[in-house]
Amino acid sequence: MAGKPGTTPTTYSPSPTNQKIRRPIFNENEVDWVRPDGRGFHQCRPAFFRTGAVNAASGSAYAEFGNTKVIVSVFGPRESKKAMMYSDIGRLNCSVSYTTFATPARGQGSEHKDFSSMLHKSLEGAIILETFPKTTVDVFALVLESGGSDLPVVISCASLALADAGILMHDLVASVSLSCLGKNLVIDPILEEESYQDGGLLITCMPSRYEVTQLTVTGEWSTPKINEGMQLCLDACSKLAKIMRSCLKEATSTSQE
Amino acid sequence: MEIDRLDGRKANQLRPLACSRNILNRAHGSASWTQGDTKVLVAVYGPKAGTKKNENPEKACIEVIWKPKSGQIGKLEREYEMIVKRTLQSICILNINPNTTTSVIVQVINDDGALLPCAINAACAALVDAGIPLKHLAVAICCCLADSGYIILDPTKLEEQSMKAYAYLVFPNSILSVRPEGSLKVQGEPREHGVITSGTQGAMSVDDYLNCLERGRAATAKMSTVLRRNLQPQIASELSKAG
Amino acid sequence: MGLPDAPGDLSSEVDVDAFRRLFPLRFYERHLTESIRPDGRPLGRARDTTIALGAVASAEGSALAKIGSTTMLAAIKMEVMTPSMDSPDEGCIAIDFHMPPICSPIVRPGRPAEIAPVVSKQLSDTISSSGMINLKELSLVSGKAAWMAYLDIYCLDADGALFDAALLSAVAAFSHLQIPAVSLNDDGKIVVVSEENGGKLEKDAVNKERMKLTLKSIPFSLTCVLHKNYILADPTAEEESIMETVVTVVLDSSSQLVSLYKPGGPVLAYTSAIQDCVALTRQRMKELQKILDEANSGMEVD
Repeated sequence: MAGKPGTTPTTYSPSPTNQKIRRPIFNENEVDWVRPDGRGFHQCRPAFFRTGAVNAASGSAYAEFGNTKVIVSVFGPRESKKAMMYSDIGRLNCSVSYTTFATPARGQGSEHKDFSSMLHKSLEGAIILETFPKTTVDVFALVLESGGSDLPVVISCASLALADAGILMHDLVASVSLSCLGKNLVIDPILEEESYQDGGLLITCMPSRYEVTQLTVTGEWSTPKINEGMQLCLDACSKLAKIMRSCLKEATSTSQE
Repeated sequence: MEIDRLDGRKANQLRPLACSRNILNRAHGSASWTQGDTKVLVAVYGPKAGTKKNENPEKACIEVIWKPKSGQIGKLEREYEMIVKRTLQSICILNINPNTTTSVIVQVINDDGALLPCAINAACAALVDAGIPLKHLAVAICCCLADSGYIILDPTKLEEQSMKAYAYLVFPNSILSVRPEGSLKVQGEPREHGVITSGTQGAMSVDDYLNCLERGRAATAKMSTVLRRNLQPQIASELSKAG
Repeated sequence: MGLPDAPGDLSSEVDVDAFRRLFPLRFYERHLTESIRPDGRPLGRARDTTIALGAVASAEGSALAKIGSTTMLAAIKMEVMTPSMDSPDEGCIAIDFHMPPICSPIVRPGRPAEIAPVVSKQLSDTISSSGMINLKELSLVSGKAAWMAYLDIYCLDADGALFDAALLSAVAAFSHLQIPAVSLNDDGKIVVVSEENGGKLEKDAVNKERMKLTLKSIPFSLTCVLHKNYILADPTAEEESIMETVVTVVLDSSSQLVSLYKPGGPVLAYTSAIQDCVALTRQRMKELQKILDEANSGMEVD
């Protein structure tokens, strides 16, 4: 029944595709349009974190921001691959993949190489690699459902999973992204807003140390806008880190009971 | 109640069996097994040093590679690989050659039904040919169930497709022993009645499945004598050569 | 296990966890003689099982099933295809089972788990053998268009009995599946009827209302580990790796045997053991049916 061998019929999604044409969700000149989910421009989606989602892993975390749902597992420190050279410091290996049903149109469910390397770059500065020489820590993320701002959610969730696994870090890593839509800056954009954005900005930082581990700017930006956007993101990051910290505290207090 | 089979066989009648061993020069052991038009060739290489990752180095490791008649391997072939591997693992004495890998390559030459049982029989003969230490032999059979609850053995491809359900079963061969018969029984059943491997396709009632087991046991008892007869003369001639 | 007497002597001195790691088989056998398992279960009892329907908003049907810590997320996406010439009024189901690297330490990116395609094949065989879904219900326009249901199951946490959890999540996702209302547009393509333009396209409506599939004879499964004369229902990953013989029995709600699967293993299954496994599966089927019914009735209230 399930696909006779050799027959892979071509299929298409019946969801209307003509709506992909840029729909004016906001007016270029007006400042008082409403975001599709009714949030204010500088308001993030409610964040939900839970550690210990995967028992088989050394540490894990689940994050849910609106419709964006992410699960991250951390394995190790464990033996590095045989082919790797001796190393005084530990290695970090990151991989981000999507489920086939994560996106509105059915995807391939393969690894997202760009996000994997971005995740690696934003975490490696925070982890104290000297504490596990010769070994590797694997950070694997799976995006269960993509609802926009996927990468920042993955990064924040990954740092929580690392903390859950007991990997030494300088600080938790919090990440927030922002879209520039015409004259407005909207923080923590959803998928729809991301698809219309003129520019995007992603900040990954260690809020207690006030250090940025990664900053990515894409698209069209003016310098004052970048400054404004960065400040917004940094403020949001420190708030996010508080939520993450309380989640960790909660997890340890319940396990002690 | 009889069912007319296209090739005129009786329900319990198997297709002509043929087995030849030592047919490849470079392999450490090889065998081909033919049941009617279904033919499978198996080559065994090993034991070679080292095991694959995630395998227990304290035991010998068996690796099975399935080569279909044509095309690439898909999920079906992966499942066959896993079933053949687990079946062979259960008949081999894995403690004798720890930290080694034995590769079993299964090449399908023609598929006319009962492919997996045929491949297991061939692999078993090839392991004997390669001199891999075995606890006992395994004998595989395919039982097909018609809508009326009637069971036919060793179906052709056409029969497999037209019937409601089929089961492939693997049993240990019957053993010749000087020990009294009672000592070989486990839970009141002779040891060769225990199922090594079972797989089914299509829905059937539990009683029908148990019937299949009965029929399968009876048929494999006969097959194991064929297998034994086939393996013996060559062993004798090898001994005479060595002597 | 080279020291036959040592474990006995050590057991009083060595810490339980260390004993468990060093002599796993002895550790288990000691429990089995007391008819209890290390997690406190009697031999025949399955772990706590939960089903949550509608876990994925972007899919037409979805379910999250948990058996102990084994977690499966199943989601169905409906797409349209041209049916094959042999069966012009039948849809199709494509089932894929994934084990992403997050689920287990043995799976790494680029090196997929060997077991994943096997479970995938077993799932499609089981669902087609059970006849749970009438493929005719997936037809839209005979010979022109039919539904292709892509069922993808992700293992989020692997702790034994993967097939059981995967089948449960698959069945639950089908019970949750809502087929969208669609109509045929001018280009001969099938499009979803959205709320705003539903009225004007009604003359071409193919599927007037969102509908659910009728599921007959739902298959439920139970995996058991055989060790000596013991039968352990619903094994954890640790139990599966220490005692290697597993038997999976699938029965459907009309008590037909859909599959009896035993891939090798050092322990031989005799008729009595097979009958015991079938009996355990019958009991388990009632439990699972109840859990599934409760999950579905919970959805209706919402």
